[in-house]
Amino acid sequence: MASNRSISQSVRPAAGFAVRMTMALSVVVFLLMMLLGLIMRMAQGALLDISPDLFYQVMTAHGAGMVGTAGLAGAAIMWHFLNRYARPSVSVYWLFLALFLIGVVLILAGIFAGGFAGAWTFLYPLPARSGAVWSTHAAFSFIAGLLLVGVGFLLFYLDAARAIVGRYRNLSNALGWPTLFGGEQADPPPPAIVASSAVLIINTVALIVGAVILTITAVNLYVPSFGVDPLLAKNFIYFFGHVFINATIYMAVIAVYEIMPAYTGRPWKSSRLLIAGWSATLVMAMAVYPHHLFQDTVMPGWMLVMGQILSFASGIPVIVITTYALLTYLHRSGIKWDLTSALLTLGVFGWAGGVIPAIIDGMIVVNKVMHNTLWVPGHFHFYLLLGMVAMALGFAAWLVQGEKPGAAMTLSQKLAFGGFLLGGLGVVLTFLYAGKESVPRRWAVHVPEWIGPDRLGSAFAALVVVATIAIAIRYLSRCARSS
Amino acid sequence: MQEFLWGLTLLLVALLALIFIAVIRQAAVPAAAAVPAQTGRYRQPLFWALVIVGLAVTYGTLIPWPYSPDSRASDAPLRVNAVSEQWSWTIDRTELPLNKPIVFFVTSRDVNHGFGLYDSDRRLLTQVQAMPGYVNKVHYTFTKPGQYRVLCLEYCGLIHHDMIAELTVKP
Repeated sequence: MASNRSISQSVRPAAGFAVRMTMALSVVVFLLMMLLGLIMRMAQGALLDISPDLFYQVMTAHGAGMVGTAGLAGAAIMWHFLNRYARPSVSVYWLFLALFLIGVVLILAGIFAGGFAGAWTFLYPLPARSGAVWSTHAAFSFIAGLLLVGVGFLLFYLDAARAIVGRYRNLSNALGWPTLFGGEQADPPPPAIVASSAVLIINTVALIVGAVILTITAVNLYVPSFGVDPLLAKNFIYFFGHVFINATIYMAVIAVYEIMPAYTGRPWKSSRLLIAGWSATLVMAMAVYPHHLFQDTVMPGWMLVMGQILSFASGIPVIVITTYALLTYLHRSGIKWDLTSALLTLGVFGWAGGVIPAIIDGMIVVNKVMHNTLWVPGHFHFYLLLGMVAMALGFAAWLVQGEKPGAAMTLSQKLAFGGFLLGGLGVVLTFLYAGKESVPRRWAVHVPEWIGPDRLGSAFAALVVVATIAIAIRYLSRCARSS
Repeated sequence: MQEFLWGLTLLLVALLALIFIAVIRQAAVPAAAAVPAQTGRYRQPLFWALVIVGLAVTYGTLIPWPYSPDSRASDAPLRVNAVSEQWSWTIDRTELPLNKPIVFFVTSRDVNHGFGLYDSDRRLLTQVQAMPGYVNKVHYTFTKPGQYRVLCLEYCGLIHHDMIAELTVKP
């Protein structure tokens, strides 16, 4: 089998520039999307007066923007470390980035010029049946934008597959299966390659399924007689959405695998346990999506049971193994904390912590009283804001400190990190509390009894924005200096 | 139930945070060996503990089948039809009996909606999706008289937040 040795610890200059640009874009868009999130919480808390149509446009932009940017930042992380072990194409990466940007322009035009407000989940047949609120062209612009972004990601993963197969001969080797099944002990691929291989397989499938339903939705806008069964459409959408958003975390955690050893002095190896975990995730990440459909009682019972069982079980292979391994590596490692290591460790905590309320909501009996309440944004902001985004910001911090451990945190960095942690926890807990109080999700207008947690959540969201501005300024100014 | 779930979540998150804090407090202390040998000793017990908890929770929450009618009720359930469309509910009976099992047959004329049954304290009691082309069923037995509301729980467009119906439960 091919060696797990890196081709080079230093990434090619052209690749390094592309990654720094991507992270600059990601950090700025994360920040803008956080501001949209703050606007929504303030509107729900009656601190800001915006019309419901604008609220739902902002909600659509926030959802699509955050999911897309999480995907973009995750892809940059995966690609950056893939360059250590293989030779993905820089040209394809730029094409991916160009398609992403063109897609974003179409999405924003559909929302803010055309008034599309069908949510990022574009639940069929809502895009075509807005109640005369938005035009067909606006919906098409949004759907076409998502399709272009998806095509870009598909090219990205296909090229990643080409590069990995070029180095490791086939994906079976890259997933570490000879070590897992053949007892071959020497030189399994590094965790970055195992994780990248699993992600590219599941996300390629998800993107194709997503493209199918997006295309049907787009045609249906102009040819209403060309439709699809709404339940099948729902299955496609949640399969695509679930896998894609989880893949953003799976890609981001590669930064933890690759960077933390520089701090702990302990290499993160591909143990048989880690390989088995990623192989199990390969199946579970794709099979767990029916937990989004617990309230569709016409779904086959076995699928709903599978959704509940896998909601619990899918937490074990990667999350528990990664969290346990990180804690083991950190323990008495003599680590010197800086912004990078603090954010990456927070990212793993956020990922593991967010899974707790998610698994609880992944039980049918609980889902009956929690589904589509604010409990749901409570758990996904936990593992996305405090998990995925923290990892992405940690990776960005790493890039601009020369890809080596930096100096101890300055006071301003400590304040920024503390603000992000405190604000993030506040955002999450106020959502979860409101979910416990049965407050519906995606409501532009809240009754007075609900606005207490909204206002508190707004204050915490503002703290997250300020902390992220501080982290972003450090990254962008250092980027500008180095270029 | 919601209060219990909130408390359980806080407890488990706090436990996770305490584990992280305990490790982080020790992290800056350099060890003599690269990785302390004893750190692997919790791995197997943790795995089996998760498996046992998973099996117990699965059994306890899936049996009886959560979509079944109330097994204690001897009466045949009363059928109530609820049809949704942007942005209103048409429910064929809005005065409902106390302590009688009811099965709501829920569908939609246009897009996806959510049938969320709330009590007068704004507590979500149960829910089901309203799908175009399908009829989803949800069972519920009212045990307190009073005013109840149906709120839309699936985003359905501009007036989603105002898609509310009233139900009255009388003895």
